This record gives sequence, C-alpha cells and structure tokens, in this order.
Amino acid sequence: MDFDLENPLTSSIEIQSDSITGLFDSESDYMPSRSFLQCLEASAFYHSFRQDAISTLFHARSSRNYDHFVLYLAINYMDRFISRQEIPQEKPWVPQLLVIACLSLAAKMKNKHFLISDFQKEEGFIFDAQTISRMELVILDALNWRMRSITPFSFMSFFISLFEIKDPPLTQILKDRAAEIVFVANNEMKLLEFKPSIIVASALLVASHELFPLQFPSFKCSIFSYEHVNKDKLLQCFNAVQEMVGLEWYQDITSSSISPLSVLDRHCRKSKSETTNTTTFSSAELPQERAIKRRRIDGYN
Amino acid sequence: MEKYEKLEKIGEGTYGKVYKAKDKTTGTMVALKKTRLEMDEEGIPPTALREVSLLQLLSQSLYVVRLLTVEHVDASSDFSSTTSNKENIHSNTTTGSNNNNNNTKNKSNLYLVFEYLDTDLKKFIDSHRKGPNPGPLSPSLIQSFLFQLCKGVAHCHSHGVLHRDLKPQNLLLDKDKGILKIADLGLGRSFTVPLKSYTHEIVTLWYRAPEVLLGSTHYSTAVDIWSVGCIFAEMVRRQALFPGDSEFQQLLHIFRLLGTPTEQHWPGVTSLRDWHVYPQWEPQLLARAVPSLGPDGVDLLSKMLKYDPAERISAKAALDHPYFDTLDKSQY
Ligand SMILES: Nc1ncnc2c1ncn2[C@@H]1O[C@H](COP(=O)(O)OP(=O)(O)O)[C@@H](O)[C@H]1O
Ligand SMILES: [Mg+2]
Repeated sequence: MDFDLENPLTSSIEIQSDSITGLFDSESDYMPSRSFLQCLEASAFYHSFRQDAISTLFHARSSRNYDHFVLYLAINYMDRFISRQEIPQEKPWVPQLLVIACLSLAAKMKNKHFLISDFQKEEGFIFDAQTISRMELVILDALNWRMRSITPFSFMSFFISLFEIKDPPLTQILKDRAAEIVFVANNEMKLLEFKPSIIVASALLVASHELFPLQFPSFKCSIFSYEHVNKDKLLQCFNAVQEMVGLEWYQDITSSSISPLSVLDRHCRKSKSETTNTTTFSSAELPQERAIKRRRIDGYN
Repeated sequence: MEKYEKLEKIGEGTYGKVYKAKDKTTGTMVALKKTRLEMDEEGIPPTALREVSLLQLLSQSLYVVRLLTVEHVDASSDFSSTTSNKENIHSNTTTGSNNNNNNTKNKSNLYLVFEYLDTDLKKFIDSHRKGPNPGPLSPSLIQSFLFQLCKGVAHCHSHGVLHRDLKPQNLLLDKDKGILKIADLGLGRSFTVPLKSYTHEIVTLWYRAPEVLLGSTHYSTAVDIWSVGCIFAEMVRRQALFPGDSEFQQLLHIFRLLGTPTEQHWPGVTSLRDWHVYPQWEPQLLARAVPSLGPDGVDLLSKMLKYDPAERISAKAALDHPYFDTLDKSQY
C-alpha cells in the first residue's frame, strides 16, 4: 500500500506509459495558480512573505537535518495554499503558523518524525498543538487533501530512463545534480511558472551538460522529442535555468547554512555586476527564443 | 456538509456508512462515505493523510471512482471557541457544522465525496440471476467490464498500490454507459484486511488469493489478479467461483477445482505459515466451471488463477491477451 512520493511510479517494472501520461495530465493541478505568480511579482508583501517562509524552512533544515524533499513539499503546499487563500497582511503570526503547519504536513507525508516543540523553540514560535492541527486542517481543506503533489521529482526517473545511461553511478550523479538545481530553481521567481516536468527536464539537461557534455546532444534530443513535453516551454525554461546556474550562487544554498535570503541578496548583487557565462543553446527551429534569451541576459548587464 | 442533502443509505461496509446525497448547489448526485478521523496531540494522523491523498491521486484515472472533495467535520462542540484565530484566516472556507454530539474533543469525521454511480457489479450480477428477466451477461459486456477492471488495476499497480479487496461489491457501474470503476480503495488498509467489519459482518473470503489464505506475509500485486480472475468467472457464471465460508473451506473450494497445489507447481507452498495436509485433488478442467466462455477467455482466466503468484499474469499483460483482440480498444 505504500507509495514513494518522490517516485510515484514503480520503476522496477517497465515504466507504464498510461500512468506517466496521467502524471503529465495532472501536474498543473499541483502548481500554484497563475494569479499567485502575478501576486508575487506585484506585491512586495507576498514576495517577502514567501522569502521569509523559505528562509525559515531552510534554517530549519540546516539545524534539524530535514531532507530536501520534505522542504520542497512544504513550499509547494504553501504556494498552493496562498494561491487559494488570502493572507491577512496585518497578522505577522500567520506566515509562521502557515510554515509550521506545511512543514508538519510534509513531514507526515514522508513519514518523517517532526517534533513541533523543538522546531518552535528554535524558531521562536509559540503555537499550541491544537492551533497547529487546526491550521493543518485549514490547509488540507484549501488543498482538498491533494497532498501527494506531483513535483519535478515525480518525473526524474522517467526522464533519466529516456537517456538510456548504462552506468548506475553516473545516473546517481546526474540525479543528485539535477535535484540540486530543482531546489534552487524553486527560489527563482521567474521559474515558478514552469510545470514540474519542464523544470526537471531542464535541470537534467543543464546537469548533463555540465557532467557529460559529450552525451548532451543525444539527451537533449530524447527529451525534446518526447511527446508530452512542450518544446517552446522547455527551451525557455532550459535557458532560464542555465542562466541561473551560470551565476553560480546556488552552491551556497545547498552546501552551507547561509540563509537563502542572504544568498538571494548576493545573487542580486552578483547579477548586476558580473557577466553570465551561459552556454549557448541553439535551436534552428526557434530563433525567436534565442532573441528572448539574449534580451534577458542583456538586461542583466 | 450543509452543501449536501442526504437521500438514502446505499452501503454499509467495512469502514463506515455510504450515503447517496444530492449536491444542493449543482443538483448532482454524490456518494458520501463517512470515516472517523482520530486526531491526537500530533494533529492529523499521518496514515489518514497519506491514504486520503493517495486516493485523490489514484482517482484521476477513468477506471477508479472519482473522489470529488473531502470534507472534514469536527465532532467537538468547543471547536469554534478554540479556533477563533484560525477562523479569521479562512473566512471563506467552511469547516463544517457540529452536527455530531460526540463529546470527545479529538474525534472528528471525514466525508469523502465521490461521484455517484448507479449500481455495483454485485447488484448487477444479482439482477441477471434473479431479476424479473434473468439471463446471462452478454459476452461483449463481460469482455468490456473485464478490460476496464484490468485497466484500473494496472493503474493502481503502476503506482505501487494494491487494492487487496477487489470484489463485485467494490466495482461500481454506470449501466447506461457501460462503464466500470474500481471503488473502496485503500482506506485503513495499510496492514491487513480485517476479518470482521465494524458491523461484525463477515468480510467475504471468496476473492482472496491462496497465498493470503495460507498466511503468506509478503504478498504482491498478484493477490489482486487472483480476485480479478474470480470476478471474471463470476460474471460468466452469475455465481461465485469459490464461495467458501471459512478460510479452510475457501482453500478446499479452490483445491477441488484447481487441484491441491504441490511444491512442483508452486515452489515454497508447503512452507507457508498456514499450510496443512490437505486431501489430494487432481485439477479439473477449468472450462467446465465457465461453460459459456470461449477458449481465449478460459486461457486468460487460467493465467489469472495460477497458484504461484510469480506466474500469475500482470494486469498490464492481461490487457494484451488475445481474449481482448475482438474488443475495440480505441474507446478506452
Ligand atoms: N460512488 C458510489 N456510487 C454508488 N454507490 C456506491 C458508491 N460508493 C459506494 N457505493 C455503494 O456502497 C457500498 C459500500 O461502499 P464501499 O466504498 O465499498 O465501502 P466499504 O468500505 O464500506 O465496503 C458499495 O458496495 C456500493 O454498493
Ligand atoms: Mg466495499
């Protein structure tokens, strides 16, 4: 009866085409809404709300050693919740309560024990257990109990299987690097609009470009020719991810306890002063994409 | 829950009552399945969380009954006073009414709101046996129902989920459209299927795989395929293939038709926990148990009823069996 959240299809047998199609069909249901993305862009309140929440979560991770995936899931719940529910601006405790309840739910989904009291002590929160469980219910209600989010990780094994890599250790290295990129991409506002499958496909391409440049063209070809992948979107997203990785600020976030906020600050400073060194990704069919990308890079300089 | 008008009780099974109800705003029929949610100091129990959300994910298949929404209803009467803070955040969601006099603070109910289907396969088969104009199910209908059943089972299995209680009562039908969907997936089933339901009604053993009956602890997707085989035969016969009334009788029913299993046909069988010495029966001709079924159908059935779970056909492979060659698969 159990089920692996990161890997929803039992990949031991052959990957089942109907079910993978189902994942592609319903992935948008687990994304934050379009209006949420607009809100993030337009409202300083939401923007800093999300940044604060993410930095609290990352702080919790470094001190409590949470697995990355639990945090990813918690952020997904938070984004989806905010997409459906107005957050009162005048109540500063709301973000804290939301973060703690999302983290608690995500930990339960992964069957990770989560000691609310420890977390509260460290983060200086003061909610009683009942308040937190009520908040859990409010979140469940808003998300209609759809807590098995389809995330980029749901597609990871599937896309890797398209690459037909013979060597298991290489697969693992590729996976780890792509996972790192996916986590960092979650902090990048402009990447939030892309579907989970597109994010992970881009992350895998960028990772494979770094790790196995020789095989990259054939990986690229197999992902781009897969029917459920929107090629324009993939190209856009790939370029954006490439650009993000080119800035090389992400390593701090994954290897040290620097809070994402300070990292993001650095990111901004860096991107203003340094030229990005992104690999040119050419596509004969879509010249306009390159133009867009160039404009974007120009904007940074 | 004020959104729904309860019409009648349509089922009372293993975990709770099922009601037919009408969505007051849209007028559509739904099935409400009530289950208890025991909250503890740690809030929502992880099992409930994991299972309901799994149901949400699986029910996106056409062949699984659709879970429309989940409504949480607090049973405690002091709910509103302890949560006034929270009410401010979500003033536009309903948390339900306190329509239950249960005075334990941590007890509450979950209503799973499903799409409503007009009947289940058990009632349907019964109506063909004893209704006003009894008669066999048409071969093409059996073929179509079995195909949809295999699709649904393959879907669950591809997500690593076993149903473990497939039986005609748990297969819902839309008679007019000829649609079959799997219901009753997975709640409270994390460990074992209970022998007695909460109403102390005996849970049927008729569809239970021999390895489960013999106390095997590591069972797999093959247990569901065994049940599918039993259901297939039952659609053809209009009566159960192995109607045992105890675990021992259940095994004897199986052995009498398929022969008493041996180490040769099923390696490891004699070391299963509940293995005993049984009368030695020779296998009978399976075709005789399902006289109206053609040779392809009998072949598929025999592959679903293999003793050795490792040899039993998978749901996915069953979809490609020649029995379905005459089916227009494009419509599924
Ligand atoms: N969505 C539905 N539409 C119509 N009838 C239903 C529906 N769900 C359940 N039923 C009826 O209620 C019975 C019990 O429901 P089920 O989900 O199997 O719960 P239990 O765990 O109690 O067996 C079913 O056998 C069926 O007859
Ligand atoms: Mg049932």
